[in-house]
Amino acid sequence: MSEHALLELDNISKYYGNIIALSGVSTSVAAGEVTCVLGDNGAGKSSLIKILAGVHQPTEGSIRMNGEEVSFASPREALDHGIATVYQDLAMVPLMSVWRNFFLGSEPTKGLGPFKFIDTAKAKQITKDELTKMGIDIRDTEQPVGTLSGGERQSVAIARAGYFGAKVLILDEPTSALGVKQSGVVLKRIVEARNNGLAVIFITHNPRHAYPVGDRFLILNRGHSMGSFAKDEIAIDDLTRLMAGGAELEALEHELQASGASSDRPLAQR
Amino acid sequence: MTLQGGGTEPLGSTPPDVDRREVWLEEPLTTIDKPSVQPAEPELMVANRGATASAVAPDGDERLAYRSVFQRLFMRPEVGAIIGAVGIWTFFWAVSGTFGTVGQTFGWLDTAATLGIMAVAVSMLMIGGEFDLSSGAMTGAMGMLIIYLVKATGALGGRGFPLELAIPLSLALALGIGYLNGWMVERTGQPSFIITLGTFFALIGLKLGLAKRFVGQIQIGRTDEASDFKYFRPFFAAEWERNKHEFAQRDFWYIALVAAGVLISILAVCELWFKRRAEPKATGLVQFLVSAAVGIAAGIGLNVTDGVGANLAIGVLIALCIVVGLHGWVSWRYEPIGERGSVALDSTMIRRTVLGLALVVLGGVVAVVMDSKSTNNFVFPFTTQGVRVMLASALGVAGLTLLAMVSQAALRVNAASKFIATSALALGIAVIAATIYIASKAPKFRAALFPFLLFLAVLIFTWGMLASRFAERRAVAARADRLGNRMLALGILSVLIGLAIRMLFITKAELLAGVPPAKTSVRLLWFALFTAAMMWVLARTRFGSWTFAVGGNKEAARQVGVPAARTKTKLFMLVAFAAWFVGILVAFRINSIQANAGDGQEFLYIIAAVVGGTLLTGGYGSAFGGAIGACIMSIPLIGISSARWNTDWRFLIIGTILLLAVVSNRYLRTKAGAVRR
Repeated sequence: MSEHALLELDNISKYYGNIIALSGVSTSVAAGEVTCVLGDNGAGKSSLIKILAGVHQPTEGSIRMNGEEVSFASPREALDHGIATVYQDLAMVPLMSVWRNFFLGSEPTKGLGPFKFIDTAKAKQITKDELTKMGIDIRDTEQPVGTLSGGERQSVAIARAGYFGAKVLILDEPTSALGVKQSGVVLKRIVEARNNGLAVIFITHNPRHAYPVGDRFLILNRGHSMGSFAKDEIAIDDLTRLMAGGAELEALEHELQASGASSDRPLAQR
Repeated sequence: MTLQGGGTEPLGSTPPDVDRREVWLEEPLTTIDKPSVQPAEPELMVANRGATASAVAPDGDERLAYRSVFQRLFMRPEVGAIIGAVGIWTFFWAVSGTFGTVGQTFGWLDTAATLGIMAVAVSMLMIGGEFDLSSGAMTGAMGMLIIYLVKATGALGGRGFPLELAIPLSLALALGIGYLNGWMVERTGQPSFIITLGTFFALIGLKLGLAKRFVGQIQIGRTDEASDFKYFRPFFAAEWERNKHEFAQRDFWYIALVAAGVLISILAVCELWFKRRAEPKATGLVQFLVSAAVGIAAGIGLNVTDGVGANLAIGVLIALCIVVGLHGWVSWRYEPIGERGSVALDSTMIRRTVLGLALVVLGGVVAVVMDSKSTNNFVFPFTTQGVRVMLASALGVAGLTLLAMVSQAALRVNAASKFIATSALALGIAVIAATIYIASKAPKFRAALFPFLLFLAVLIFTWGMLASRFAERRAVAARADRLGNRMLALGILSVLIGLAIRMLFITKAELLAGVPPAKTSVRLLWFALFTAAMMWVLARTRFGSWTFAVGGNKEAARQVGVPAARTKTKLFMLVAFAAWFVGILVAFRINSIQANAGDGQEFLYIIAAVVGGTLLTGGYGSAFGGAIGACIMSIPLIGISSARWNTDWRFLIIGTILLLAVVSNRYLRTKAGAVRR
């Protein structure tokens, strides 16, 4: 599949001083595909996104986009290459309205010279249209983003990335702070973004979120790649096992089961 | 297993039929591990937090409660400040003999102008999440610099620059200092509080040192030594003497503009509040027009007739016109309520209503009975007269508060109860108006406060009547909202223009009566222009958007490509620009400047910004709020001396205002449910 891959990572390593955060990670992302990056805390997921988003530069290895080698010195450069990153906590300015957040940094203007001003009517209309396209019905684009739920905020950020011509969409733990239903909403957006032809990189530590939407899975454990698999090559239980580095989790599972309560009851009681 | 499983599905906290479009997934989301399963999603609580439990919008997103006009209004950062300004103004108007006069008003407005230009700029910087402690010292420094530059000091070779050079030179230096502040804050990553504290002391030292070095004293003059002083004076210090501008039809325009403005504002609130009818009811419009015509005729009649009896009759007629006319207008355009219910106040509400009315009446009795001949003097609070005024006011306020609480609570019962409770409130206000008429000897209370309170009572009664008969619009309607907002702006503008005409011009009768001279200056115009410009910048430009963004969440802003460092630096330069401008204004006003001028004022600017609703932590606030905050600061400064109190008390008052503003702004915001923080 590497011949039609949009973004390829080849042997990426990242050292912070003597700490090896990432070591020899390779994977590829194709347009219209979701690549899930899975890993437990400290597996090197954030280092990987920061490299892709242009925040850090890799110590070793190369990034190729459409077959050409690229390097990003800043988030702006990554954005200019069409790589948009949606961070879990940094996505929005909570006190600002939805439409202002949507267009923040790229506001449409009219007027001349010092009297250039934001075309608010147009900005609001586009925001409403784009969000409706994603199936988010926001009644009033003037409402502060802070009044939206976490899932809606992620959705707005995803819609924004799509509208501004992102080719690669990186989502950093978009579901980790969300409830069941809202996670579902965000996962649905991921599928929609994929169907719109974006290459999506979905970072998560939750295989149950990753497996339904992912086409490829890159599993990281302690900075090392545990392999990059297509969906038909791997089952969901193997994902979990690889993430945790194998045996440890099974022992934990036995221990939990021995301690009594069946794990799905609290869900049913909510 | 899908989530649409029916009644036994695990998402028990949401009804199964809501928002199906979000319920999705073919895969086992229900077995998601526990950490991501949060109890009750928070937005469900928003709906319950609204004013009424039934306030959930009938259509659209079920998680959003519809916010009424007043709730939306209180979400604006500056609304608390406007209420505060009116309250403080009324207080000093009541306690001081001369505070309401045109001359005094120009006095506090002039103080507010120089304070306000800075407060507006500082508000913007604070919205951007930064402080500038050097702003006060900078105003003085810039005033001094201008005078140095035009002055024939030995150091400058005996001949100063003309102002046409001195002004741009000082501007360049001011912008340079602002840039330096911003650059240091961005480069070091230190809090701007510390960086600008450094600039602050550096400027103070420079000012004193240079003053001693060049002039040998800390008083530096004079601006008018500049060769081209007379060309620049009109821009920075032109004055308007009221007694030299006669305008025969002044009172006609004043009354017409204010009355029209008030009417348009009321209609605007109706447009924002009520739900439009499908088919307008023409008879309502006729009713409105006839009442308006009668009301205008009555108003003219009030002007030509004389005597208590005639005034009373015409007053009643006008009140009737207000009630009938507004009813006509609203029944023309808006949907009536089908089910009004019957009055159902519970025992607490009834007790409170009775108690509230009793307190108001008791206040009136106190005011009448305790009346004595003692006059206003230094120990006023301890005289019989003082006790009478305080006791009567306290009883009145307590009574009205109770009545207002009941009318709030009755909103939740039904339309009929709301009407009764609101009428009781209106009655309470009318009783207070009557008390003032009977018991007060001050002519301004009888001539101004009495009719105003009666008018207020009529309005509140009318509002209660309308709100209990016509349906509130509980959904966003973009066109109605836009129309309503524009009407409201037009109404307020009309009132302001009317007041300005009243203040700027004089009539022959007033001249003959020997009204004391009053003058204002171009500073007020600059203040208004600067405030308006900055409001526009904040609301409509990219820079304004970025200001909110860098203050609200700098990292998120940077992430989407906002030049955060440049935006903040520009904000520091904006404050420096304002300081330069105010420095010039001061240098032109008093023609000389003290080396310590402006030092310490930076706290007043910050207080004005905070009082105006700007968050200390950034990301929220308004330029207009800063301007109103400056008025709130300057009213006591002038009011205290006008009331002949010791001016040292002003710090106590300003401190108290700040504390009250912080608490009440926070209260208003949570009440309006503005944001989750």
